[in-house]
Amino acid sequence: MGSLFRSEEMTLCQLFLQSEAAYACVSELGELGLVQFRDLNPDVNAFQRKFVNEVRRCDEMERKLRYLEKEIRRDGIPMLEIPGEVPEAPQPREMIDLEATFEKLENELREVNQNAEALKRNYLELTELKHILRKTQVFFDEMADPSREEEQVTLLGEEGLMAGGQALKLGFVAGVILRERIPAFERMLWRACRGNVFLRQAEIDTPLEDPSSSDQVYKSVFIIFFQGDQLKTRVKKICEGFRATLYPCPEAPADRREMAMGVMTRIEDLNTVLGQTQDHRHRVLVAAAKNIKNWFVKVRKIKAIYHTLNLFNLDVTQKCLIAECWVPALDLETIQLALRRGTERSGSSVPPILNRMETLEDPPTYNRTNKFTSAFQNLIYAYGVATYREVNPAPYTIITFPFLFAVMFGDLGHGAIMAVFGFWMCYKEKPLQAKKIDSEIWNIFFGGRYIVLLMGLFSMYTGLIYNDIFSKSLNIFGSSWRQNYNESTLTTAKSLQLNPDSMDYLQHPYPFGIDPVWQLAEANKIIFMNAYKMKISIIIGVFHMLFGVCLSLWNHLYFKRRISVYVEFIPQILFLLLLFFYMVLLMFIKWTSYGPSPPNFDDVRTSGYCAPSILITFINMMLFKTDPNMRTDCDDTMFAGQMGLQKFFVIAALMCVPVMLFGKPYFIMKEQKARASQGHQSIEASAENGTAGGAPVPASAHHDEDITEVFIHQAIHTIEYVLGSVSHTASYLRLWALSLAHAQLAEVAWNMLLRKGISTLIIIHTLSTCRAACRTRRRTCACGRCRWRTRSSPRSRGTCCSGKACSPRATRAASTCTWCSRAGPPSPSPSWC
Amino acid sequence: MKGCIFNIDAGYLEGLCRGFKCGILKQSDYLNLVQCETLEDLKLHLQGTDYGTFLANEPSPLSVSTIDDKLREKLVIEFQHLRNHSVEPMSTFLDFITYSYMIDNIILLITGTLHQRPISELIPKCHPLGSFEQMEAIHVAATPAELYNAVLVDTPLAPFFVDCISEQDLDEMNIEIIRNTLYKAYLEAFYEFCKLIGGTTADVMCEILAFEADRRAIIITINSFGTELSKDDRAKLYPRCGKLNPDGLAALARADDYEQVKAVAEYYAEYAALFEGAGNNVGDKTLEDKFFEHEVTLNVNAFLQQFHFGVFYSYLKLKEQECRNIVWISECVAQKHRAKIDNYIPIF
Repeated sequence: MGSLFRSEEMTLCQLFLQSEAAYACVSELGELGLVQFRDLNPDVNAFQRKFVNEVRRCDEMERKLRYLEKEIRRDGIPMLEIPGEVPEAPQPREMIDLEATFEKLENELREVNQNAEALKRNYLELTELKHILRKTQVFFDEMADPSREEEQVTLLGEEGLMAGGQALKLGFVAGVILRERIPAFERMLWRACRGNVFLRQAEIDTPLEDPSSSDQVYKSVFIIFFQGDQLKTRVKKICEGFRATLYPCPEAPADRREMAMGVMTRIEDLNTVLGQTQDHRHRVLVAAAKNIKNWFVKVRKIKAIYHTLNLFNLDVTQKCLIAECWVPALDLETIQLALRRGTERSGSSVPPILNRMETLEDPPTYNRTNKFTSAFQNLIYAYGVATYREVNPAPYTIITFPFLFAVMFGDLGHGAIMAVFGFWMCYKEKPLQAKKIDSEIWNIFFGGRYIVLLMGLFSMYTGLIYNDIFSKSLNIFGSSWRQNYNESTLTTAKSLQLNPDSMDYLQHPYPFGIDPVWQLAEANKIIFMNAYKMKISIIIGVFHMLFGVCLSLWNHLYFKRRISVYVEFIPQILFLLLLFFYMVLLMFIKWTSYGPSPPNFDDVRTSGYCAPSILITFINMMLFKTDPNMRTDCDDTMFAGQMGLQKFFVIAALMCVPVMLFGKPYFIMKEQKARASQGHQSIEASAENGTAGGAPVPASAHHDEDITEVFIHQAIHTIEYVLGSVSHTASYLRLWALSLAHAQLAEVAWNMLLRKGISTLIIIHTLSTCRAACRTRRRTCACGRCRWRTRSSPRSRGTCCSGKACSPRATRAASTCTWCSRAGPPSPSPSWC
Repeated sequence: MKGCIFNIDAGYLEGLCRGFKCGILKQSDYLNLVQCETLEDLKLHLQGTDYGTFLANEPSPLSVSTIDDKLREKLVIEFQHLRNHSVEPMSTFLDFITYSYMIDNIILLITGTLHQRPISELIPKCHPLGSFEQMEAIHVAATPAELYNAVLVDTPLAPFFVDCISEQDLDEMNIEIIRNTLYKAYLEAFYEFCKLIGGTTADVMCEILAFEADRRAIIITINSFGTELSKDDRAKLYPRCGKLNPDGLAALARADDYEQVKAVAEYYAEYAALFEGAGNNVGDKTLEDKFFEHEVTLNVNAFLQQFHFGVFYSYLKLKEQECRNIVWISECVAQKHRAKIDNYIPIF
């Protein structure tokens, strides 16, 4: 049995590594990924371990790298993926080089950033000043406006102006403030200065860059006029409080103009310097971006190695490290090789020693996977990880999971789309993998690409069985049904039936899957499909569960739990067989022994008229009663002795429950007692022999679990199994329910979306050709075609199928519409018109 | 009935808060922390807790103040998240919590300006939860009236400040009086608000706030001995929403020394117990620590009830205590002063 069947065999190994070689060896083992180390000093704090300094250095390096990465991202420089192979963990001495490189880069970058920030601050100040000069110009212009002066004169009167003339010498400050602070600023000014200041403000339209955070912020220019020094200090304090920057602003227009000129030239100079700084920064970052991913991998590998080394024990002589690890028994050779490589690389002369150890501890479960099985294994892990050496359900999931999906998704067309998508992902696997797409949804799909592919393929298969392609049917082999109604019946009847007993049915089934004629049966298509799909779901479900229970037999046999076979496996499988498998058998009996009633009605008992409902039969079986609604002219059983057999089955199945419940605890109790008396005897014996010191092997102590715990565990297990098998059987009906939902939704999508869209296109396109075609074929006007035509565009009916051949009422009402047979097989798609 | 509809508005946030609460350091974490040799060790250990990588981006020589800042920053981010997702009446409740920080900030700024410190130096010392827009312009004011008219009138603290306007000028004594009057008004308002919310919130919060009020009253009394604060003035500063009100407060107002305060506390079982174990000798816990411990118990108890806002208050207070603990331990580690390292107050 290969590793696919059950989890890998593991052994505990002790590893003696020479101190110098330990790093290289662990690095090699890390690349293999086959070893699980055990923590040998669990009581030691994280910061008291041996290699904590190295881990800390790695942390520091990571911090520097993160800083670099952040800066690179901020500039939007693409980071190069690692070309080809992932780098190996560097030698410990390389760590110093790396540290130096990062240190240098970080310092350089910080310096550049500092310079840039200073320059930017300078630049910001100058731009703000520029804006102030520009905006305040307007304010001053308004002041100087002669019309205003007149206003003042009229308002204050000659005297007032004269009186105020001396005092009119107003002081002012100008500055820039964040726009959102303006309202509070204004209110505060008014309150603190008691309304004695005059504030004008104008918005700066372009956002300015904040040098420390490099965010874009909106600001406003303001100018405050006031009178007197006291107010001035107060205003300045408030400005400071609101983080407004104040700038000197000359009063005379000429000075202002001169200043503006100066500012403009300085801004231009600064721009060139800033450009150069940015260029320098860009160069540094581009150089770093080339290697940063590589560095990240390297540093993380070093860190991981030292974390692993921290798990090791130090030998008394300090010369070697002792590790304990779980390894798969099959890979011991590979691990030995890796260790040897590691020793060679480190140049150490003493080879590492790998000892297998005997242990009573439970080994970890390890399932070897490849890229195909790993997705399925992950599905299993989502439910739980099997105990060590238990049967691994993953290989069966490879078939059952896509198949059960396909039962629900059965549609050839949709399945094909899915399969193509899955195939594309598998085919383009390598390039897609290299792209490292971060989207979570994509990764779910890509991780399960083989599942998607298989689900698609299986869906195509079940789609063929259901004869469903985009909610239409394929008529490959020719339907087995013919209609024998005459034309007048066809035109007038609301719904017509085809009788399987008559000439309507060719008496041999459609060779593969569902007969396409059912696609046209509007009245009872769903009823027919439901009966079929429900039964199929239950049959699949019961077999699935039986298979699962059988797998437990393998576990019991492998772990030599003979008691479990007798008191767990056998009652379990009996319970399932006697109740649910019997129900499956009833389905088959119903399928085979009941047919359509023959024309002469000689045996009504085997006709569909008498066919019992399986569900009712099963419920009655559990309740020990017969069907009170059974028709009088039918048998109340499906076969002779059914009632007796059913009673026996139910009683036998119920008998299994107490066996499951009490069997195992009983045997365990018995065993413990036996062992206890045995131990007693051996102690007595040893006492008699005078070797009282000889300790009886306390292996039993390990097994002596609390008996109540066993009882509780077994009770839970039994309840879960019994209820589970009932509820799971019902749950498998979900296969039918979802399949029904899918089919119906596909039909709605076809009718409401696709057909409407396609038909309007086609009508315009083929109206003329259709007209010609109909004229020539008036006699054989196939109604499948007309049906489409009449529905989609009633107006065109008259021109296409003139006369009574296909009235819309008749076409719509036909239930099992096979009346196109004269014109040939009913076409699944009307588009040939 | 309130419990039924509580989750519509605050269920998510309560869940979030309880989740945050689970990240509060346990006794075992503290036992590990006190073993640290350097701040780097401390950082390494905190990485293994809920704090995660909060110090990962700090360059290597760590200082206690960086740790303090980062601890506070994390707490503030969490609290702001809760605040931003809350609706009435919870948002008002959370706002009420921040008012106490605003009071502290105002007092800090006024005291700073009184000592001629530049405002830019003081701002970083303010608690970010209590910052408000007009805060930085506070040094405009020279008298309490101005402070009220120019700065505080727009803030939510305005109604609390009305009682202080009468004070003449801002000196050290008056600032202290302002602080305590503000606090008294704040506590009483908060207490009323919690009562208004009613239900479990009122049960839990009134208990905590009553203790807070009594603690202030006792501390004010003890600290006032030997200062120029008159007994009448002192009585005015007592918050009147605690269990000491009214008899205990009246007795406190008459107290002249520590023993008399202790005698007053004797009448109240829980406070008597606190005074019992407190002392100033080496090895004894101070009264203040005792109060802190009691506060922690009250706050931990708040988590025993469901469907109330008290958990948010308690979480903030517990987390603050934790920050104080960590800072205390890091100070001890940094100064190699290990004798008192165990004087932190364990939470769980």
